[in-house]
Amino acid sequence: MSVLLLQLAGPLQSWGASSRFARRSTENAPTKSGLIGLLAAAQGRSRGDGLGDLAGLRFGVRADQPGVRVRDFQTAHHADTGEAMPVSERFYLADAVFLAAFEGDGALLEELHEALNDPVYLPYLGRRSCPPARSIPLGVREGGLEDALNGHRWLAAEWYQEKRKREPEVELGAWIDVREGETAHHELRDLPLSFAPEHRRYAMRGLEYTRVTVANPQGAPPPPVPAHDPIAALGGE
Amino acid sequence: MFLTRIRLNTARAGARKFLISPRAMHGAVTKAFAEGLPAPEAGARVLWRLDRNSRDEVYCYIVSPERPDLTHVVEQAGWPTTQTWETRDYAPFLARLEAGQRWAFRLTANPVHSIRRKDGEPTKVTAHRTPRHQLGWLLQRQEANGFQITAKPEERRRAPGDDYEVIVRDRHAHRFGKTESDGRPNQVALTSVTFDGRLEITDPGALRRMLTAGLGRAKAYGCGLMTLAPVD
Repeated sequence: MSVLLLQLAGPLQSWGASSRFARRSTENAPTKSGLIGLLAAAQGRSRGDGLGDLAGLRFGVRADQPGVRVRDFQTAHHADTGEAMPVSERFYLADAVFLAAFEGDGALLEELHEALNDPVYLPYLGRRSCPPARSIPLGVREGGLEDALNGHRWLAAEWYQEKRKREPEVELGAWIDVREGETAHHELRDLPLSFAPEHRRYAMRGLEYTRVTVANPQGAPPPPVPAHDPIAALGGE
Repeated sequence: MFLTRIRLNTARAGARKFLISPRAMHGAVTKAFAEGLPAPEAGARVLWRLDRNSRDEVYCYIVSPERPDLTHVVEQAGWPTTQTWETRDYAPFLARLEAGQRWAFRLTANPVHSIRRKDGEPTKVTAHRTPRHQLGWLLQRQEANGFQITAKPEERRRAPGDDYEVIVRDRHAHRFGKTESDGRPNQVALTSVTFDGRLEITDPGALRRMLTAGLGRAKAYGCGLMTLAPVD
């Protein structure tokens, strides 16, 4: 088994799994459909092409820096006619960093990694107005999904690591696809069957939530309290 | 004068009550004296301080004109069958203090100043909030209280303003309700801060007075007690 690792960092990201009409929400972490779309776009697949090979990869994501949810109240007007569009509410994660991983066949993952280094369509973080702030691919490595998420260094920004410097080790939340036959903690309708514009289809995906401990490079124990014993100065009773 | 030390068992609910509430600790210290607290006019008064050396090593120090009985504190917040409190006669130690001696000190205090925000407004007592101003408050009081904080050698200064052998730590803002003697409810807000450093005695008389009468405000609530320890 091999694992392809991706980092998703940017001023804004938005990962919708259940949005309808004018309220466009975001999940707390990247969705499988969002990242499969990103990989397919990097390879230059068109909307109607098959996704079976990508959807079959096992997916996991770790929240290295959870970010802050922001709400945009959008009052757009048509560029030519000036006509008002429906007022829409859009939600984003600001200043978030995630580590995402796909587990599967090594040859396919190598192809995807190459495609990300030289993408046909540019990648974005869930919505086209959300460009990535760092290079997305982190490489392909041997081993399982859990090991990759456990073993990778903390990707949070230095200011965020500094903020948690009282914790030499930090706990990060991670959402991982359950294996066949296992019970899911949580289900999300974000397993893409087709991105064809006339009829997008998604299936349910079972996830489990775990916590991963990583070292904090900025971590420092609190300064020691100086010793002070006034009784010692008084001598014996 | 007597110097007393009692260790608190932080696993017990009674100790937690003392740790979070300066009012509860004040009450317990007050009840250690059968005759009640001496009148403040007498000069020397009862002072106390909590030293949180680590999560489970917490001491309460008390300086008092009378010998305290802390049985009730041991019963509520100590180790009643194995450990009690230590009380030592403080007077011989105070008598030994001489100008020129160097000591390590620890002081928990409530540094405040009086300010008005605009002309004509009455002044209001306000806490110093930053370590720099809190240290400034202590430096202003050193001459009148008979000590001088040791200057740091040039090569060990790490930043501008890091001129003295002292650290400012454990800053806490407390806020709690109390009932005044006339029955009206009141709110107490105070900021306590702990100074650890080294000093040289310049006027033993003034220093003795300060060690037994306290420094600054909020003396009932665990502020104002300075203790000395040998410099290692």
